[in-house]
Amino acid sequence: MGKEKYIDSPKEISGKVSFIRMLIIYIIICGAGVAVLLISFNGLIKNQDRMLTEDICSLVTEKMNSSISYMTGSVENMAAGLSAQGHDDLRELYGILSQDNIGSGYVSMGFIDDEDNIYASGTELNEFEKWGLLDVAKLADPVSISPPYRSGKTGQPVFTMFANYTYGGGKHGYLFLTYPLKEIQNMAYTESLTDDAEIWLMEAASDNIIQCAGSNKYSIGSWNNALLEIRKNIDSGYQDDYSEWKSKMDSGISTANITYKIGSETYTQVYSKINFMYGWYVVVRIPSSSLSSAIQQFRVSVLLFLIIYFMATVIMFAVFHKRETEEKKVLANLSVHDPLTSALNRRAFDFTAEQYVEKSSKNEAALLFIDVDFFKQVNDKFGHEAGDRILVGFSAALKEIFGESSYISRYGGDEFVLLVRNGDKDKVSGMIELLREKAKSVKPCDNAEEYGDFTLTFSCGAAMFPNDADDLKGLESCADDALYTVKKNGRNGYGWYRK
Amino acid sequence: MKRLTVLLISIILILSGCSESADSGQNFSPPPDFQPLNEIVDGRRNIYLIVKNLDSSYWDVMIQGAKDGGDDFDCNVYYSGTYSETEWEAHEQLMDKAAEAGADAILLAPNDSVKLSGKIDEIYGNGIHIVLLDTIANTDSYDICYMTDNLMAGQQAAEEMINLLKKGGVSENESAQIGMQVGAASSQTISERLAGFIQYWSRHAPEKWEIIPDIKCNNGYLDEAIVCAEELLEYPDLRGVFGTNNSSTIGFAKIIKEHGRKDIAVVGFDYSEEMAELINDGEYMASTMLQKQYYMSYTGIETALKLIDGEEAPVKFADMGVVAVNKDTIDQPEVQEALRHN
Repeated sequence: MGKEKYIDSPKEISGKVSFIRMLIIYIIICGAGVAVLLISFNGLIKNQDRMLTEDICSLVTEKMNSSISYMTGSVENMAAGLSAQGHDDLRELYGILSQDNIGSGYVSMGFIDDEDNIYASGTELNEFEKWGLLDVAKLADPVSISPPYRSGKTGQPVFTMFANYTYGGGKHGYLFLTYPLKEIQNMAYTESLTDDAEIWLMEAASDNIIQCAGSNKYSIGSWNNALLEIRKNIDSGYQDDYSEWKSKMDSGISTANITYKIGSETYTQVYSKINFMYGWYVVVRIPSSSLSSAIQQFRVSVLLFLIIYFMATVIMFAVFHKRETEEKKVLANLSVHDPLTSALNRRAFDFTAEQYVEKSSKNEAALLFIDVDFFKQVNDKFGHEAGDRILVGFSAALKEIFGESSYISRYGGDEFVLLVRNGDKDKVSGMIELLREKAKSVKPCDNAEEYGDFTLTFSCGAAMFPNDADDLKGLESCADDALYTVKKNGRNGYGWYRK
Repeated sequence: MKRLTVLLISIILILSGCSESADSGQNFSPPPDFQPLNEIVDGRRNIYLIVKNLDSSYWDVMIQGAKDGGDDFDCNVYYSGTYSETEWEAHEQLMDKAAEAGADAILLAPNDSVKLSGKIDEIYGNGIHIVLLDTIANTDSYDICYMTDNLMAGQQAAEEMINLLKKGGVSENESAQIGMQVGAASSQTISERLAGFIQYWSRHAPEKWEIIPDIKCNNGYLDEAIVCAEELLEYPDLRGVFGTNNSSTIGFAKIIKEHGRKDIAVVGFDYSEEMAELINDGEYMASTMLQKQYYMSYTGIETALKLIDGEEAPVKFADMGVVAVNKDTIDQPEVQEALRHN
């Protein structure tokens, strides 16, 4: 049969895993949990952002291309309609129509005849010369679009659309309409992404870009170069990706996307070829944060909730721990001490004294067995309350004299046992003498008339460790023998064990 | 326990209360007050000129054009400006001051095409005529803009570069690298010159003549321009450098002269002492695009007065063009005329 394990001392309780250690483990586990949650959440957001921005960029480019196709379709239809009317004199037709403009958003219109004569205003004629617009017209199949240029008439960036036109019984010419670049801006406008989406027209050969949409309405129409405006700002780790993206554009692939970082912001950028505007592409860029801002707010809320929850549990644990500690203290006190005198109880004394004896093989110690003399008579004469008072008073005297250097125990009834640490016979004898004097002041009640000539005495048997015995049981036996001898000799005295 | 609770509550407060406050303090120097450019005569129209840089020979020429215009066309002309071409907020203040002082028209060379558009809208909306000089703004709220079409000027600069390299004996089959640097990257003028240059280059330069993708930016400071120029010299096949503005061009001219690199063509803007040295030396391949800023302001004064009298501007945007100054053209009358006003 195995030996049953008891917790015999509060020290044993404190030797277990402490509350602070448990708290640290709890914090580490919770912290790790939150970290895993955040990493998973961030990964989810990132992935979702990338997919969404790619989709949105593609949709915006498609929208732009559809709108430009609608415009080219209008120009083509207008040219077809005029061709069907069979005009002969382009100068006359231009005179009529130019008075009647402006319609459908264009700022000017005109014709080019089969001998490359241009029917347009003086300012526009200069622009044909300056920007080589005649060459662009000849690319019309059935439509072509010029690169943007600044209009003298409006001062703003414009582009001109050319469409094949037939007049004078089969002669081949061109109709052209000049639109403000803002028309494209209007097409690009997407309310939900007004402040975030940037849209450029980009020429593959030169890397030149013209802003069509962005957070600042005044930046619309600005020329720049992607090498300076975009590529120079991209983090070095994404430069190769950008080069690959650009080489797809250079090789004529109609659409491609890329994700890159500028500082802490991640962008998704998509290009798509513009029909009839040869060598030009529409480029859309959206920062991922524009989509994930709502999710990020949610993430902050979740994080805040977790932190508050976590802290609330820590506070709750701490409060419970405090209460439990206080309760344990009370219970521990009750299990170790005699409730009446606060001296150690027998079990606690035996445990503590045994530990001491086992560990202190060299140091001297004295074990004292003390019985209050005629205690039963005190009880009988003055009552149990007075008896208790005697025991409490005697115990206080013991503590006063032996307290610092001894384990003091009430073994039961009027019987006290002490282990005086590091004490030789002379020193201990002196202390016993002091106790005898002190005991005289212990009275069963306050009323002197009542207790009369009552004087408290005691009998004490003592044994020395390690001379008389080298274990507790042996010492107790020796001290008991000595006490027996003192009692036999009439009490009120003390004696040392003699072999 | 109390300490633990206080600590936990503090952490909650810190976590929930952390927020960065944006610093929106002003970071530009207050502009100087307007000064009269000519004799102020009561009863004459008041025209206010606002330039980008009061400490620059280029802008001195423009101020001179406005003064001569004021004298020739009989009006009072006041002027002010900034000492840094990035201080667009100071231009806003000056426009307000001119309006409060009762300007009949403002001649403005905007420091920022984009950011000043709102103020231009406001002033023009209050019935004050606005003539833009040198740089256009991204708004319709002005009467006319006299400037260099910078996209076209950039193209002409690229054409000059190709001509210089060909004359300098660089073969079309030979690898050649072209380095570029810009002043303020946000300036529309500079962006358009750059775009024009690259556009022309992509269409007309031989395939083996490449632009170095690392376009340097000196933020308008000469010392940075010199550092950028030095960095570009490290490219092994560097045969040409293009400066999109005055500081970039001076930076290139200084370094090319210092290293005696007569094998590298320098094309830039504005006529600085450094570029004049290269051009007059005759051994260097150098050409600079000269703007006609004198006529921008001179014509601007003339047009402003017509606008005040109720006439309409003939066009919204008038390209004043550029002339290329190099050792072959420097004696031409048109170039000499442009140099006289530089």
